[in-house]
Amino acid sequence: MANLPQLLKQDIQRLDDALREFIAQTDATAALIIDKGGFLITHQGDASQFDVTTLGALASGAFMANQTIAGLVNEPNFNSVYQQGEKSSMLVVNVDEHCLLIVIFSASIGVGIMKYYAVGAIQKIAHQLAAARNRNPDGSLDLSALNLADSESFFKKQN
Amino acid sequence: MAIINQATKELQVKIVYYGPAMGGKTTNLVQVHDHVQTQAGNKGKLVSLATSSDRTLFFDFLPIEAMTIRGFKTKFQLYTVPGQVIYNTTRQLVLRGVDGIVFVADSQYEKMPENVESFQNLADNLASLKLNIAEIPYILQYNKRDLPNAAPVEYMEYLLNNREVQVPAFSATAHKCEGVFEALNMITRLLLQKFINQGAPPQA
Repeated sequence: MANLPQLLKQDIQRLDDALREFIAQTDATAALIIDKGGFLITHQGDASQFDVTTLGALASGAFMANQTIAGLVNEPNFNSVYQQGEKSSMLVVNVDEHCLLIVIFSASIGVGIMKYYAVGAIQKIAHQLAAARNRNPDGSLDLSALNLADSESFFKKQN
Repeated sequence: MAIINQATKELQVKIVYYGPAMGGKTTNLVQVHDHVQTQAGNKGKLVSLATSSDRTLFFDFLPIEAMTIRGFKTKFQLYTVPGQVIYNTTRQLVLRGVDGIVFVADSQYEKMPENVESFQNLADNLASLKLNIAEIPYILQYNKRDLPNAAPVEYMEYLLNNREVQVPAFSATAHKCEGVFEALNMITRLLLQKFINQGAPPQA
């Protein structure tokens, strides 16, 4: 059995609950939790208008680039990145060592309310992610069914 | 590091194409994007953060979905790094969370010092992330084999693959899509094999 970091259904459910509560408090358009490596973990709100996979990858890169800039100006870190647009704005906030919270919201809403309510949401998200990391889940993904000898079957080229 | 999401039944994996500047990393992603067989909706947009002269500035990014294993979708995120020496900080950022690496070497004789330097830079950057290159699945792709000044494969093997444990190496002409899928499928195989071994019971 493979032993990879896993998020069970109850983890995602609690993360989604935290995001929904945050959206209800702030009237944000969408909220996403992503891994700092660029993986999308989950999202809530009206995200159908966005390519959330690419959004996660780019936001992660932008946030991590800003962390490097923080180091260059002798700051321990920049805890968040805020981009103000004409219609929509985006706030990326650090959750823990591994994850980020991305919030997309109308530009007519101030960033202050996002930052204020993000504090509570982040605590819940970080708590659940820590619980998931510390758990040794019973069920894991069994990759042994794979026929690795037939590696040409993973990605096929069009003729 | 790869993530299994039991709620959405997804396995997410990150592969990074690394190598010297102008070696063909972006071309690999373009060819995969243009030629991969996928069901509708399983291939995302190829995003390139490039300079006005089409040199990679931050990274290229291609999300793509492959096979389903026991009901789990396997989602691959393919990244390139900027090859230019000055963008080392960016390379470190892109390597974060990497699961597998395709090192794209330029076969031209005069590029050998850059190949070796870039490979050492890869090892150094992994070390800065507390990762050991010996523990990360990687393969070598010797690109631009169609050029008249291409060095013999044996010479490139001596320079880049001269270790106790040799890794798979592929000759490629990426702009003709030769050796592109072979490399991608092999790194996929290696990292899935690693995941299986990680979960295997300890040997007595």
